[in-house]
Amino acid sequence: MATTTKDLNVAVIVKLEPDFSEGNVSYNADGTLNRAETKSILGPHSAIASNAAFYAKVKYGARVAVGTMGPPIAESALQQAQLLCDADELHLYSDRIFAGADTLATAEVLKAGISKVEGGGKVDIVFSGHRASDGETGQTGPQTAWKLGYTFLGNVIDYDVDLQSGLVRAKRLISLQGFYDIIEEVEAPLPVFISIDPSYKAFFNTVSQRLAFEKYQKEAKSRAENYKQFLKVLNTQQLGIDPKLVGLPGSPTIVYKVERIPKAKASRKAEVIDGTNRDQIARVVANMYEVLEGMVIK
Amino acid sequence: MMSKYQHLYVVIEHEDGMPVPVSLEMLGEARRLMDGFNKKYSSDEKVVAVVLGHNVRKLCEELIFYGADAVIYADSPELQYRRNLIDTKVISQIARSREVAAKFSDTSEFVKPRYMFFGADSIGRHLSSTVLAELESGLASDINKLVIEDLEIKHEHKTKGQAMKYEKTLEMYRPDFSGFLWTTILCLDNRNPAIEREYHPQACSIIPGVFAPIEPDKSRRGVIVEYVPEFDERDLQVRILDRKIVKSAVDFDSHKAVVSFGKGIKDSPEQNIKLISEFAKEIEAEVGISLPISKKPFPVSQGINSTYMIPDRVIGTSGRKVAPLLYIAVGISGAMQHIAGMKESGFTVAINPDENSPIKDECDIFIRGRMEDVIPLLLEELRKQRPTIEVKK
Repeated sequence: MATTTKDLNVAVIVKLEPDFSEGNVSYNADGTLNRAETKSILGPHSAIASNAAFYAKVKYGARVAVGTMGPPIAESALQQAQLLCDADELHLYSDRIFAGADTLATAEVLKAGISKVEGGGKVDIVFSGHRASDGETGQTGPQTAWKLGYTFLGNVIDYDVDLQSGLVRAKRLISLQGFYDIIEEVEAPLPVFISIDPSYKAFFNTVSQRLAFEKYQKEAKSRAENYKQFLKVLNTQQLGIDPKLVGLPGSPTIVYKVERIPKAKASRKAEVIDGTNRDQIARVVANMYEVLEGMVIK
Repeated sequence: MMSKYQHLYVVIEHEDGMPVPVSLEMLGEARRLMDGFNKKYSSDEKVVAVVLGHNVRKLCEELIFYGADAVIYADSPELQYRRNLIDTKVISQIARSREVAAKFSDTSEFVKPRYMFFGADSIGRHLSSTVLAELESGLASDINKLVIEDLEIKHEHKTKGQAMKYEKTLEMYRPDFSGFLWTTILCLDNRNPAIEREYHPQACSIIPGVFAPIEPDKSRRGVIVEYVPEFDERDLQVRILDRKIVKSAVDFDSHKAVVSFGKGIKDSPEQNIKLISEFAKEIEAEVGISLPISKKPFPVSQGINSTYMIPDRVIGTSGRKVAPLLYIAVGISGAMQHIAGMKESGFTVAINPDENSPIKDECDIFIRGRMEDVIPLLLEELRKQRPTIEVKK
């Protein structure tokens, strides 16, 4: 079959994160996260980014690669992502010297990793999650994009690709505190780096898309069971990175200290009420109605 | 002695010339910091606002009233709406421009700004990341406290284990996701000979709603400098096709009351959320949540999940700031980030079994008890006392 459409190559960068769901997360007595007792999983935003890559596979037959930086256990994040997006290639960027990296030094590794993706061409779209639920900076994605020289599109809630023209159309959700929200539609030539908004949902409307969805989902399941066959582990040397640009040496920032946030001075003086005392509760309710008085039309 | 790194550049966000609140808040904090800095170091470094847009001259004047010593602006139809790619390039050009900095200071040695601030919102968070990747320096995100200090640092990599003095270092305080820990981030030059490298500007994104703007003073004077950017034709292929203002389905602003809940629902999440929503309905309140709830820590039915456990409902520094007449916090311990989002509320009631919860210091009435026991009582009383004068049809 003659076709003029070009193949689409996509990649997803993911992160292994503490599992904040009940029963898996453990907090210390002072309210801080107990990392030793808390399990790790594919981060929820990474999962959404994986879904967005799967959309490209179903809709455009894209080839999908997934990459993560981390210690050997981060493999499990790759496996979980493969189950979601039927990845053709899994990358673990792992080297002792990567430890302690800030976002700029992490982006350096991810940039090198993306350029090692196989599949006969350059990666057209890189997806990342909105932000990690533990680090929460949201900086690594855009910094990787910049180092790659890809157009960065943030807070993307929907996207489509025109393979003929090589253009992406995306909808972005912009929230500015103290202002209204804006949905913006933007068009950009490939390659692009898309950070996916938490509210992203993929829709498959046509019969052929639904059939492709089922086929790739089935394939994803069997691939994830044998994920090691798809896995490549790459270190500094294999990635061809200057060791001065990664890990602690490559990080402009350091964590200087960690302290407990001091208890703020009480801003109000609370009256304490016994929650089982009906009279006291009745009085609180009377207060509430007083405050809300304007609610009732007199 | 002139330095290679001077001034504090604040990247301003606005919608059609109306500054977004965090922009004025950043300028206020920048003013306070640099007043202290100039006094301490007997110097004259400036607070410099950076504005990209179209027809923004009036905004520039306003920014001086709000504390800027100088405003650098780029004005072009191409800059009317935010596009990360060209914005990053223009801001980086401005940050590196000795010629522009010469309009308001002695710049014989100027290379880059000393410090740089961005707003931690959907625009500034990404823009700060790409600008600092371009300027190859360090960035801390979501900061809510800033201090400038001379520090003695002994670091395995930065100083090769030697104690060294770092002057004029910006201590950037960042609350972690739990709201209980504060991490101080520093951006430091590598002075270890093996990896020697300078990292400036020291930059951060700042949480909206944390710092106070200064009282605008119309008698303040400053320098306004136009920068004429050069665009790469290829970059203009990124095009904005459409912009729509959306109203969230969650509407805190037009409700007089807000009922919010936190991890205290844990004993029976599904039932408790239903109970809370019934309670909210009774007093016509909008429902809010604390940040941990948006991470969906409890298994609940799909409907409850997609209606309530969503980022749109988060009250606090990672979500919305609310100030209703009546605020009711159910099973919320009161992490600092949540407090920042509700402390301006009117009459505030907390329902919590633990009297040591920090929320106790932020409410007018603390109802000690489990929500499972307290809310049914409240509901009963609400119905009993419901004002008898109803709207007659």
